[in-house]
Amino acid sequence: MNTGILLDLRVIWDGLVRFFGLDALILVIGLLVVLIWVQVNALFLVWLERKVAGHIQLRIGPKEVGPFGILQTIVDGIKLVAKELITPQPVSWLLFVLSPILVFTPVLVAFVVLPFGPHLVIRDINVGLMLIFAFAGINVLSILMGGWASNNKYALLGAIRSVAQNVAYEIPLLLSAMSVVLMSGTLSMQGIVQAQEGVWFIFYQPVAGLLYLIGATAETNRAPFDIPEAESELVAGFHTEYSGMRFGLFFLAEYTNMFIVAAVATTLFFGGWRGPFLPGPWWFLIKVYILIFVVMWVRWTLPRLRFDQLMNFAWKYMIPIALLNLLATALVIKLVR
Amino acid sequence: MLRKTLTEDSFYLNLGPQHPSTHGVLHLLLKLDGERILECKPLVGYSHRAHEHMGQNRTYLQFLPNTSRMDYLGGLCYNHAYCLAVEKACGIQAPERARYIRTICAELNRISSHLLWFGAYLMDLGAFTPFLYAFDDREDILAILGEITGSRLTYSYCRFGGVSRDLNQNFRDGVKAFIPKLRKRLKDYRTLVTKNVIFLNRTKGIGVVSPEQARDWALTGPNLRACGVAYDIRRAEPYSVYPEMEFEIPTATGGDCYDRYWVRMAEMEQSLRIVEQALGRLPDGPVKTAGVPQWLEPPAGDYHFSYESPRGHLGIYFVSDGGRVPLRMKWRTPSFNNLSILSEILPGTLVADTIAILGSIDVVIPEIDR
Amino acid sequence: MNALARYIKEVLTGAWSLAAGMSVTLRYMFKPVATVQYPRQALPLPEAFRGHIELRRFAETGSHGCVACGECFRTCPSGVIKVQGLKQEADQPNRAAFYFIDFSRCSLCGLCVEVCPECALAFSTEYEEVGVSRYSTVKDLLARLESQGV
Repeated sequence: MNTGILLDLRVIWDGLVRFFGLDALILVIGLLVVLIWVQVNALFLVWLERKVAGHIQLRIGPKEVGPFGILQTIVDGIKLVAKELITPQPVSWLLFVLSPILVFTPVLVAFVVLPFGPHLVIRDINVGLMLIFAFAGINVLSILMGGWASNNKYALLGAIRSVAQNVAYEIPLLLSAMSVVLMSGTLSMQGIVQAQEGVWFIFYQPVAGLLYLIGATAETNRAPFDIPEAESELVAGFHTEYSGMRFGLFFLAEYTNMFIVAAVATTLFFGGWRGPFLPGPWWFLIKVYILIFVVMWVRWTLPRLRFDQLMNFAWKYMIPIALLNLLATALVIKLVR
Repeated sequence: MLRKTLTEDSFYLNLGPQHPSTHGVLHLLLKLDGERILECKPLVGYSHRAHEHMGQNRTYLQFLPNTSRMDYLGGLCYNHAYCLAVEKACGIQAPERARYIRTICAELNRISSHLLWFGAYLMDLGAFTPFLYAFDDREDILAILGEITGSRLTYSYCRFGGVSRDLNQNFRDGVKAFIPKLRKRLKDYRTLVTKNVIFLNRTKGIGVVSPEQARDWALTGPNLRACGVAYDIRRAEPYSVYPEMEFEIPTATGGDCYDRYWVRMAEMEQSLRIVEQALGRLPDGPVKTAGVPQWLEPPAGDYHFSYESPRGHLGIYFVSDGGRVPLRMKWRTPSFNNLSILSEILPGTLVADTIAILGSIDVVIPEIDR
Repeated sequence: MNALARYIKEVLTGAWSLAAGMSVTLRYMFKPVATVQYPRQALPLPEAFRGHIELRRFAETGSHGCVACGECFRTCPSGVIKVQGLKQEADQPNRAAFYFIDFSRCSLCGLCVEVCPECALAFSTEYEEVGVSRYSTVKDLLARLESQGV
């Protein structure tokens, strides 16, 4: 009898709530779910990328492991975990080891404020958008750390490029997000979704939406902006010296970052979880994955920009246009109100 | 190592011999100031197999399989060139039909070589997809050539006084289906790549070679024609059935990466024209001259033959003492000279441009090293 | 004003070229795949396919036609072939009793097949070669002929 009571989940739950408090408990469970979700999502995205690339290139992509090869990435993941973690002798050990861990942290934080559905959000903070952008900045730091600590010329060049690129592209990214914030009047992710009652912001802000997507592609270091890891020039860029799961963490972070920027784009411009018939989370995921597909499609079509052209593109085209767009938005809002 | 060099203004970067875009085992020693190149030294010889020396140690026929292994992308062209050179030395004339067949095969080989270059170049520039499209087209050519040569890369197809095998129906059908298919594909490439604004930015005005520089460094082939010099051995010193063919020599004026790209794309179209004409005019008859001795003994003397390989001027020089084995053999392969201009045009460019320029020159390393 | 017009035009043509490129890849995405799933499917071999050489079986004699003249052995650029003949009786022609090739050094040029005065050699259609040591590439052509049956 006693064991029966112990195993009763309700009793355990009540005890835990009494001990930790409801809020803390939800946060912990949410984080656990996020951790699992990050893995599953990355595995799915890698598979999707390989399938999309395959079909664009007249191939079929993975097909041997599991139905349609869906288990292929799991097998690859196991391979990565099983591999030896090579640490070259002349690296700065602490930074070298810290970098892949640090690249993964901000990724998790962003999930706290992403509104998957009308109620499905871990914490709706009133500066949610700022939180995401603030933590996205840490990404650059870890890439710089990894590239510098590797003591490899290719890695160093990749890291330097990455810093310059991320700094330049964060500006149009923020400016285009800002014009949405002006329209909705809030920085809370849920608030922004609520402000898109009826019409999505992409119809009011097509230019900002486009700029955001371009900036987001650059932020996540995806082609045609993948110069930090430009394969044909820098071998593997900042993660040249990383092997095994350390490389795996960079990889995981890249795909999760992709999910986050697409999720933010969905929230800012495509109405978040809004949509007919289906419940909110489904709509949210559908929109996010369509955006991710577009990003992949771009990657497998376009050649890579050169480093200085990339900077020119940011400073000469994207930032002026984003500024003008912000100005026009502010003007229109002032006149209408 | 890095810490030491970082305190100075510049550092050395060994680009290759193991690097994703050195197309084999090229080693470029770059002196960098940040990302800007101060000095470039191409180091070659990693895949030296002493082909010329082998030529001096075996009979003319026995050297034939080696020829397609020097330039693995233009194997048939090298076969063809070697056979023409030895035939010229021995005074053998291949039958009309064989000469047409050789021309068709050599031009198909040229297209496949350019297609591979196209794919690999776009890969260097960071676009992965055109590589696979180009390989799809190239696969067609390899299947067509495999039909009659029995091999896909190292053909050994031409023989002294002919070719080893006659055309069959599969070959004709294959070529007839392939020509319109590639023309359609070239149109897609134009939309996907040639007009792409990123591609234009990456290639226009990059790695400019003036006609004078091109002459000084003995550039040949598409690299020379991209500088505005319409020099093509198929016209300048015609051989085989080229005098009877109608085709143009595409030239550009800029001498930059984009022009080199454009010239090669235009050359593919001209090669298609040649194949079409040659197949239409294909005469009947034998494909091999009867009575060519197995062990040829060219009269004593020096012989030289020039050939337009996909990469430029291929020169074959050998000295015969009247015996079965050449006394001296020397191949002038185009990529060697084409590569050497790197040390002239690379300084001042960025690392990303290095890859773009190196790719645009279309080097095949085993051909340089021989 | 002129510069501004040029700027706008530059942006628009650039964007248009990218969109056109993307439409090409999208179109290709829905085309049938060009690859063949090799171990499960295989392409037909061309009739001229050059595998390693093998001895031909002649219908009249039910055996090979090699007289061990050594022409292939002398022609081979890589010295792949080892052939030795044996005379059964004094007035009988020589017959190969021993025919080995070292396939690892063979460059598949096909000269041996061409020079054979008896047309005793042919190309096999084998392309799936695998072995555990370099000696497994040495092939005994007479044994191979035996194992193929009549």
